[in-house]
Amino acid sequence: MKKKIWTLCSVFVAAVAVIVVTAYSQENVKSVQDSAFKTKMRPGAVFLHDEHNKKAEIDDCGTCHHVYKDGFKVEDETSEDRECSECHKIDGDPVPLVTKYHLRCKGCHEEKKAGPIMCSECHVR
Amino acid sequence: MHDIYNFVSGPLVWVSFVLFIGGCIYRLISMAALAKKKDPVVYDYMNLRYALRSIFHWIIPFRSENMKRHPVFTIVTFAFHICLILVPLFLFAHIILIKESWNISWWFLSDSTADVMTLIVVGSCIYFLVRRIVQPEVKFLTSPSDYLILAIVAAPFITGFWTYHQFAGHKVMGIIHILSGEIMLVAIPFTRLSHMIFFAFTRGYMGSEFGAIRHVKDW
Repeated sequence: MKKKIWTLCSVFVAAVAVIVVTAYSQENVKSVQDSAFKTKMRPGAVFLHDEHNKKAEIDDCGTCHHVYKDGFKVEDETSEDRECSECHKIDGDPVPLVTKYHLRCKGCHEEKKAGPIMCSECHVR
Repeated sequence: MHDIYNFVSGPLVWVSFVLFIGGCIYRLISMAALAKKKDPVVYDYMNLRYALRSIFHWIIPFRSENMKRHPVFTIVTFAFHICLILVPLFLFAHIILIKESWNISWWFLSDSTADVMTLIVVGSCIYFLVRRIVQPEVKFLTSPSDYLILAIVAAPFITGFWTYHQFAGHKVMGIIHILSGEIMLVAIPFTRLSHMIFFAFTRGYMGSEFGAIRHVKDW
């Protein structure tokens, strides 16, 4: 009996863990959000993380989740566990951080001549 | 979409700014030369003190007799011009584009404020249109080009509002928005919109003549 309860409990905890992890993991990212933006001028940019990276053939997480030290990109280190604003600090003015995001997305789209580049293509109402 | 967007937001911006700034300089120089040739007294009578005095009275609402007589027109005109100049210069989306291109930025309006100000511009244009059609003395002075100029001014604001709110066809409208802004910039030196550059001189001369010669107020 005791064993059964233990098994049930373990299954339950595992199930909850799976749900929580999937819900909060990168797998399910649907839009770009950053808690540093207190007042939102526009809805967060639509971004289906996995679909995008598959289509864009991006395997290296560090392409976006990069880490810089002393102005140089650290090759083997990535920063998926952090928000962009942890390094690209906002300090009251959102313009620099917005621009960082834009140049990361739009800049690459311009370079590759693929993907959305106009305001309303990403910030969908 | 990439090619057309990059074209209207790249080379065409440069073309329009060159024509706008170059056109303004050309118009100022050629007008100065024309005045020297045809109306040299303008130079003799121009007086900085009286010019500034007149400009000062005419850029403050209800400071002139004419403005007091037309309160609605005065309010609409001032609201229109203030919004017309502030919205494009301090719109968040414009600031971001400039920051992306040249890494410079400045203070911006909240989007909701800019939205209201845009509606003020469009509403004012409708008022000016109706006024041209309805008011006999204005109708008499109106030529078809005046309607075109009104459309040129209203277009960037209507298309901008449309694009921002993402009404049907907003992507194409976004392109038209950029184009219409460029058309308006180029139109400034070469149409009646040139009052932007000539205002200070026409008002200044009026002030000078009325102040220094006739010794009366011109407001």
